[in-house]
Amino acid sequence: MKEVMTVANSIPLWIIAFLVVALVIFQAVIFLRITTKTAPNVGMSANEVRSAVKTGVISSIGPSFGIAIVVVALITLIGSPLTLMRIGIIGSAATETAAAGIGAQSFGVQLGGDDFTTQALTNVVWTMCLGGTGWLIFTALFTKSLGNIQKRVAKKSAKTMATVSLAAMLGVFGFLTSEEMMLSVNHTITAIVAAGSMVIIMGIAEKTKTQWLKEWALGFALIIGMSTGYLSTLI
Amino acid sequence: MDTFHHQAHFWGRLTLIGMIIATLMAPFYLSFVLGAHPGWETIIAGLIGYAAFIGVMWVLEPITYYPTLGIAGTYMAFMQGNVANLCLPCSASAQSAVNAETGSRKAEIAGTIGIAVACLVNISAIVVVILSGAYIVSILPPAVEAAFNFVLPAIFGAILGQFAYKTPLYGGIALAIGIIVLFSPIPDTVKIVFAVILTVSVIVLLERRKDKRQEEKSTT
Repeated sequence: MKEVMTVANSIPLWIIAFLVVALVIFQAVIFLRITTKTAPNVGMSANEVRSAVKTGVISSIGPSFGIAIVVVALITLIGSPLTLMRIGIIGSAATETAAAGIGAQSFGVQLGGDDFTTQALTNVVWTMCLGGTGWLIFTALFTKSLGNIQKRVAKKSAKTMATVSLAAMLGVFGFLTSEEMMLSVNHTITAIVAAGSMVIIMGIAEKTKTQWLKEWALGFALIIGMSTGYLSTLI
Repeated sequence: MDTFHHQAHFWGRLTLIGMIIATLMAPFYLSFVLGAHPGWETIIAGLIGYAAFIGVMWVLEPITYYPTLGIAGTYMAFMQGNVANLCLPCSASAQSAVNAETGSRKAEIAGTIGIAVACLVNISAIVVVILSGAYIVSILPPAVEAAFNFVLPAIFGAILGQFAYKTPLYGGIALAIGIIVLFSPIPDTVKIVFAVILTVSVIVLLERRKDKRQEEKSTT
C-alpha cells in the first residue's frame, strides 16, 4: 500500500494534474474574454459586467469550499495529484469514490486494502478517467446540435424558449431541494430557511434598489441557511 | 451574438478535446511508462461497471442542463463538473445581479460570466486545499465543518427561493413535482430528468393558457 502511494504521488502524475488545472483555467479565461467582448452587443454596460464578475466570486466561495472539504476523503484513497485531476474536472467526490471502488473491484481487490497494488491503482485510474470522458465526449460532439435545436425553437417563439429555460431551472432545483429535504429534519430546516432568506433579501434589494445586496444575496442566504441547519442539530 | 456562439463552439470543443487527451495521459503513463498495466480485460470490466452505475448521465445530464446553461455554459460546466451545486447557482445569481430576463441574450452572457468566474474560484480553492495537504480543512473549527454538511440544501433552497420570488406559484409547482417524482417508482438516476420534463411541461402549459386568456381579453 505504501509503495502504491509513492506512485500515486509521483512527479509525472503531478505534472499531468497541473496540465488539467491549466486547461480548466485557460478555458474559463477564454470564455471570460469572449463574453466581456460580446457584452456591449447585448446591452450590458461595463458596470454590469463588473457586477456579474463580483457576484460570481461571492456566490462561488461557499459552494467551492463545500467541494474542497469533501476532496480530503479522496486524497487518502488515490493520492493528491489524481484527486486534483479528477475533482478539478467533471466528477463529484461521490462519483469518483464510487468509480474508484468499481475500478478496484473489477481488478478483484478492495480499495485501500493490503493487496491494493500499483496495477490495481492503474485499473482504478483507467476506470475513473475513461468513465469521466463520457461527459466530455458527449458535450464536445453534441452541444452544437443542442444549440441548433434551441435556435429553431427560439425562432418560432422566443417567449417559449425563455419559459422553457426558467422552468428547467425550477425543475432542477425543485427536485434537488426536495431530495435534500428528505434527508433529515435539519436538512429540511436548512432548505426552508435558505429559501426564505433569499426571498427576503431579494425583496429588500428590489425595494431599496441596493445593487450590492443583490450581489451578496446567495452568499448571505447560504450562511444563514447553513448556520441555522447546524444550530438545529444542537437542540 | 452569432460570433459569440461560433467562438464558444470553437474554444469549447478545442478545450474539451484537449482535456480528454490530458486526463487519459495519467492511465497511459501508469500502464505503459511505469509498466503497471492491469490488462485490458479488467479495464473494460471497470468501464462497464462505471457505465452501468452512471453512464446514462453522460447523455441525460448535458441535455437536461443545456436550456439553463446555454452554449458556453455547457462547455464549461461539463468540463469542470459541479453543475447543480456550483455552476447553475452562480449563473443564476449573476443574471439576477444585472436584472437580466431569464432566457434573454443578456442573461446568457451574464450567466456565462458567472460560471467562468465560479470555475476559477473553485479550481483555486481545490488547488489550495490539496497543495496544503488538507491542512486548511484540518484547522477549521468543528462547528464550521459541521455547518458545511448543510451546504447543499442551503444552495438548492436559496436558488429555488430566488426563482420562486418572482413566480411563487411556479416555485411551489416545481417543489411539489420534485417531491412526487422523488417518491415515484422510477430509477434514481433518471428521476431528475423526469422532474425537469414534468415541470417544463406544466409551466409551458400554464403560460400558454395565460397568453390565451390575455388574447381573449384584448379582443373582447
